[in-house]
Amino acid sequence: MFLHAGIILIIIAVTFAIGTYFKLNTELAMLLAAIAAAIYHTGGIPVRHLVEGSFTYYDVSLIFITATLFINLVKESGGIVFMVRKIIIRFHKHRFLTLLFLTFILMIPGALTGAGAATVLTVGTLVGTVLVYMGISKTKTAAIIFLCASMSAAAPPINLWAMMAAAGANMPYVGFMQPLFVLTITGSLFTMFFLGAKGENPDLDKILKELPEPPAEMNWIRVGTPFLVLILLIVAGRLFPFTMPILGLPFIFIISAITMYIMSPKKLNILDIAGRTIRSLIPLVGIMIVVGILIQVMALSGARGLISLAVVTLPIGFLFATLFLILPVSEGLLQYAVAPLLGVPLIFLFNMQGFNAIIILSAMAVMWPIGDILPPTAVVGRATVIELNYKGRYYRDFLKTCLVPMAFILGLCTIFLIFSNQLSFLVGG
Amino acid sequence: MSKQRLNIIKIITMILIVASLIISGKAFLAHRNYKEAVVAGPSVTEVKTLGDYFAPLKGSVADCNIYILDSGKPGGTIFLIGGSHPEEPATNLTAEIFAENAVLKQGKLIIAIRANRSASTVTRPGDAYPQFYNIKTDWGTKKFRMGDRWSNPLDSWPDPEVYVHYPSKQMLAYMDIRNINRTWPGKKDGSITEQICYGFMNVIKEENVDLFIDLHEAELEYPVISTIVAHESGQNIAAMASMMLTDMEFAEPIGIEFSPKSLHGLSHREIGDHSDAVSLLFETPEPFLDRVRGVTDERLLLEGKDPFVMRAGKFGLLYESIDEDGWPIDVRVGRHCSTTLMVSQIWNQTNPGKGVIIENIPKYADVIDNGVGHYFKNPDEAVAEKVFYE
Repeated sequence: MFLHAGIILIIIAVTFAIGTYFKLNTELAMLLAAIAAAIYHTGGIPVRHLVEGSFTYYDVSLIFITATLFINLVKESGGIVFMVRKIIIRFHKHRFLTLLFLTFILMIPGALTGAGAATVLTVGTLVGTVLVYMGISKTKTAAIIFLCASMSAAAPPINLWAMMAAAGANMPYVGFMQPLFVLTITGSLFTMFFLGAKGENPDLDKILKELPEPPAEMNWIRVGTPFLVLILLIVAGRLFPFTMPILGLPFIFIISAITMYIMSPKKLNILDIAGRTIRSLIPLVGIMIVVGILIQVMALSGARGLISLAVVTLPIGFLFATLFLILPVSEGLLQYAVAPLLGVPLIFLFNMQGFNAIIILSAMAVMWPIGDILPPTAVVGRATVIELNYKGRYYRDFLKTCLVPMAFILGLCTIFLIFSNQLSFLVGG
Repeated sequence: MSKQRLNIIKIITMILIVASLIISGKAFLAHRNYKEAVVAGPSVTEVKTLGDYFAPLKGSVADCNIYILDSGKPGGTIFLIGGSHPEEPATNLTAEIFAENAVLKQGKLIIAIRANRSASTVTRPGDAYPQFYNIKTDWGTKKFRMGDRWSNPLDSWPDPEVYVHYPSKQMLAYMDIRNINRTWPGKKDGSITEQICYGFMNVIKEENVDLFIDLHEAELEYPVISTIVAHESGQNIAAMASMMLTDMEFAEPIGIEFSPKSLHGLSHREIGDHSDAVSLLFETPEPFLDRVRGVTDERLLLEGKDPFVMRAGKFGLLYESIDEDGWPIDVRVGRHCSTTLMVSQIWNQTNPGKGVIIENIPKYADVIDNGVGHYFKNPDEAVAEKVFYE
């Protein structure tokens, strides 16, 4: 069985490499790899397994889609530009407070959708414009946008890596809010102030001229109410669990989106926005569907077991010393697929060794999105340079500028890994 | 790429997807609607359904059969449920052996073979479970539905953001609102899984159940394994049974664990707390459930042999031993049969006047010698009135 599972892994790796060589995107190359492995294992095409596997992350995908629709409606209504302009007008003389609030603005889309790309696409350009006018170089600005987007993707309430790994380990996605919040806020604030602390106070007029104008009727009530509805519906489920009907997160995001639609000062073409949302999410939803298929085929053929066995038999010290490298690199290679593939056996191993599984998974789930700047996928990194129209060199300038904050975040996460039990007081939410 | 070529690719893709959905849809439908024939045994006096105890479930996917075996002689009442987690086949197979074979000499035995029917109509996405498994019998092969740990999302969806257990208000994993062993004692107007537990609580109360037994299996990576988990009201019985079985019958020992008072929703905790019944839960090892398992197929499910799980054991990563012989279904069902018999025997000794005397059930060694299938009756040879479908 060891040989059989090993051959399956080789087939997957080779097919994926061939697909990538022939310029197939990650999800199609991964799908081909899964089908090739399935054919080798079963001698045919196990259609039921392929379809069943594609539903593995169905709920997560729905959350992802509805949350992104909500954020896009906020953006299209002028809510985001309104918030950014208000922050600049109110705090432009206080560099510290301006950077602080801009960090929070950067955190919202990714935290709600679980995708760094959502942050880059919805608020990246706006915040990037402000940062450049605050005297921060374009390279540092791009680095700030990428790293804050990564941290926002890892921030609670929606962390897709933690959700996917927890689901695979039969572990509740409960108690992660506080550790994820501490790690991501620390990481994003360090990034913002390390790269952006030095600079001139912004010229208010210049910035405001550069930023788009929100509709005149936009105000805090209009932009705040949908967020309030979102929070109230989530909290109500916990406060009145026996009387409150079960809505589910996708429907809660839909209700919040409808609220934004109603509160928007300008008429929104909801079908057009929904269509654009779906089109923009095709690669990310696609990869979640394909990852489910791949995981099912690997479970069927024993390849998942072999990887799990290889991981759980590694010495803990080795993992502490290398996870800060392994996790981001594997994310660059496989994106979300790493969460169930590596995350589940790692949780199992650390849990067996008496470490706090929630702190461990939280730390890993913050390390993974850092790898979204790395090849071959580099989804968020590429989105950042495209969206900001960054003309510098990707590796020698952009990636190099990210290195110190990346090292800080990865170091912090490694500390969380090693001292997970001592930090277990953070579990909650 | 030209527009025409792109359109051709889109059409081909669409055809492939539709074909896949039709093929898999037929497989899912066949699995959901497959009926397992059960031949009611000599002591079965009545077959009700859960809906008879809680009307909203009548005719629903959750409306499982309730087999009542009444000796006619006064005594106690034992309630045995299998299939709480339908991915644990030794549980429903054991319950079915009791329903088809048990002869009651005193008291009453109530059996639910598929406690969570909904969960037996779905397999877990991402885990590549087989949809069915086949047991060889003396008269042919008997086919069973493989299921999941959680109720079918088709019957209970969406999950809440966090599942808050009723009535303790303890926060649990969102998907556990579909886990029958996290929803005890149930809720009248709750999710379908909470309603199933509410229905079973009605059975316990209306039938004056004295002893409740919930059968389970566990992965070897899980610490609660090869054990009897007991509510404090059943600790003496469990301790005695554990000692006797380990000493007299089993090749590998069976332990005892006390039901944690602070962990809610589990049968061994809530039934003991919310009814007069003594509540016990039995666990056997099922390597098929281990994350490090190799090829996922019917063979692993029934033979319980896996080199990857064995290797994990050599690294000290398991809570139960495993060797080349694995944990075959005969061994697992045999343990459940003997544990149930031993517990009832000790119950009889410690509760005079409330005895439940069960005969004609194979013990551990018998099941290993003859195989599980030996104890299943041929529905084709039975009179139609005796055949019920799960």
